[in-house]
Amino acid sequence: MAYKEQALIRLEGITKEFNGTIAVQDMNLEVQEGEFLCFLGPSGCGKTTTLRMIAGLERPTRGEIYLRGQRITDWPPQRRNIGFMFQNYALFQHMSVYDNLAFGLRVRRVPPAEIERRVRAVAQALELETVLNLRASRLDLSTMQRVALARILVIEPQVLLLDEPLNNFRPGLRELMRAELKRWQYQFGRTMVYVTHDQEEALTLGDRVVVMNAGRIEQVGTPDEVYWRPATLFVASFIGRPPMNLISVEYRISEGHALLSSLDFELRVDERRGIIEASRSLPHLILGIRPEQLQISDPQAPSPGDLVRIPVKVDLIRPLGRKLILDLKTRSGLLIQMVTPSTRRFTVGDDLEIVFHPHQALLFDPQTGQGLY
Amino acid sequence: MPGRAWTSGLTRWGVVLIVILITLAPVVWVLSLSFKPPQEWLAYPPTLIPRQPTLENYLVLFWPGNPVGVVSEMVRTAEPVTRAFINSLIIVPISTALSIVIGFLAAYGISRFGAGGNFLPFSVLTTRMFPPIAFAVPLLVYYRSLGLIDTHLGLILMYTTFTLAFSLWMIKGFIDGIPRHIEEAAILDGASRWRVMFTITLPLIRGGLAAAALFVFIMNWTEFLFALIFTSRFAVTLPVQVSRYAGAVGRYYGPQAALGIVASIPVLIAGYLIQRYLVRAFTFGLVK
Repeated sequence: MAYKEQALIRLEGITKEFNGTIAVQDMNLEVQEGEFLCFLGPSGCGKTTTLRMIAGLERPTRGEIYLRGQRITDWPPQRRNIGFMFQNYALFQHMSVYDNLAFGLRVRRVPPAEIERRVRAVAQALELETVLNLRASRLDLSTMQRVALARILVIEPQVLLLDEPLNNFRPGLRELMRAELKRWQYQFGRTMVYVTHDQEEALTLGDRVVVMNAGRIEQVGTPDEVYWRPATLFVASFIGRPPMNLISVEYRISEGHALLSSLDFELRVDERRGIIEASRSLPHLILGIRPEQLQISDPQAPSPGDLVRIPVKVDLIRPLGRKLILDLKTRSGLLIQMVTPSTRRFTVGDDLEIVFHPHQALLFDPQTGQGLY
Repeated sequence: MPGRAWTSGLTRWGVVLIVILITLAPVVWVLSLSFKPPQEWLAYPPTLIPRQPTLENYLVLFWPGNPVGVVSEMVRTAEPVTRAFINSLIIVPISTALSIVIGFLAAYGISRFGAGGNFLPFSVLTTRMFPPIAFAVPLLVYYRSLGLIDTHLGLILMYTTFTLAFSLWMIKGFIDGIPRHIEEAAILDGASRWRVMFTITLPLIRGGLAAAALFVFIMNWTEFLFALIFTSRFAVTLPVQVSRYAGAVGRYYGPQAALGIVASIPVLIAGYLIQRYLVRAFTFGLVK
């Protein structure tokens, strides 16, 4: 392979075990210069451990870590010049904000005048000038967060690692701080690796999202890719709220057509036949369809014939202001969720027919969990 | 409602008062005793306020030969307490400081790196599980051959060792309470482990160290058994000196009480000086 643009950070076959339990398994990943990369996954999936290995706080059991092509696996954290923002900010409570910011520079024996200049510059950029003389223990949460960020930025690190920094905020403020973070990333233009279990956060902030589960990477892709083309069943079910509808279907050939059939509907998948038949668990497959891809068919304006139609009964209505979530029961008792504009009124027990385009349906192999694309 | 608040306030103060009375009763008694002439030491019914208050008990501590009255006559042969006082002021602060410094370093290693394995913190405690007298004979043999009997160094080493378990456990608790993330943040800022220990961890547990130091100081200041066994003339400490005020007919309670009061003054001063740290130590859980 030609020497393409060098990744800022490269993880090669990283495995981390803690007393025999595997936290991260055989991970390969590249972080590009300047990007905002989000690790997303349920708690305990190994995302924080990965971050700590990049920082040097944990040593991988196997595998290598490279920074700008240089092997840093054995480097102590002090040498890596990586900024790490902890979940609880880990400010030095007994010091003033100024001393918190100056700490890393003093350790590096930067001349005092230069320290003063850099601390003031960062404090100004993050609007911390008025609190510089306060004790770190006396700040409110959002100020703490800015101090934590400033403390990292002031040492001009190669990369910023952020471990669930918004976890402590109540929901409303959380969205506000999320926007702030995104603004800071534009402003400072630094590479950020961000860990979160909140999918909205990952999808809004990340240039790319790494979805992790049980110590493994499930998918690396742009927010659009992980949302609309989930590589695995896990990604499909983990991302999206309400979650993707996952329905068991059977594959069969009838009169020369490739068909997927469930108890309630049938669809033709001739153009995907090759991909489907490579799957090992045939005839069983799982069909995935996003709740917002389902539509209610309008009896006055008959829709094109190639749509998949499912007769359903309204089971539960959950209004969400502009939208509402409908829990629908099919004749066979299957639960399907859909999102629809709240312009129309529904009552529990209504009979509806919902439709979707066959090409919108995603298919997964139920045994391997892999998406069939 | 106001009535209820008033009674509950009263109950609270009542309970506090009772606890204070129980705690301070011996102190008050010793204080009163220290101003009593010999005929009142064991008088029945006892007096709280001495009928004939006197300073003689205090004077004989420092000038035992000086004939002022009947007490001087009793303690004519006693040494002035000056020497014991100075000995205690040498031995106790040094052994306390050593115990805290070594305790901090050991506690840090155990808390952060699990140094010595799981059993070490427990095994350190064994020195405090035996009755101290069990150590006396073997130590006496060692000390004799090492020439440590009746020396400052001998007691300093002994006090450091015997309080180490205590300071280690107490300080370990405080270090355990400091989130690792704070130290890791400093390490990622480029600081060495030693620098983290002394500029981040140490200041954060200052209150805990002060509390541990005060308790160890008190333990050493009042230690009697080893001081009695391992000193004779040169390195006698205050508690031993207290026991010296006794004669063929019985104990000289007046001078003993007076010396008790005098001996408590350095502890009171030390406690007063570090009390602002103590408050922080007891509200320590707030640092998260």
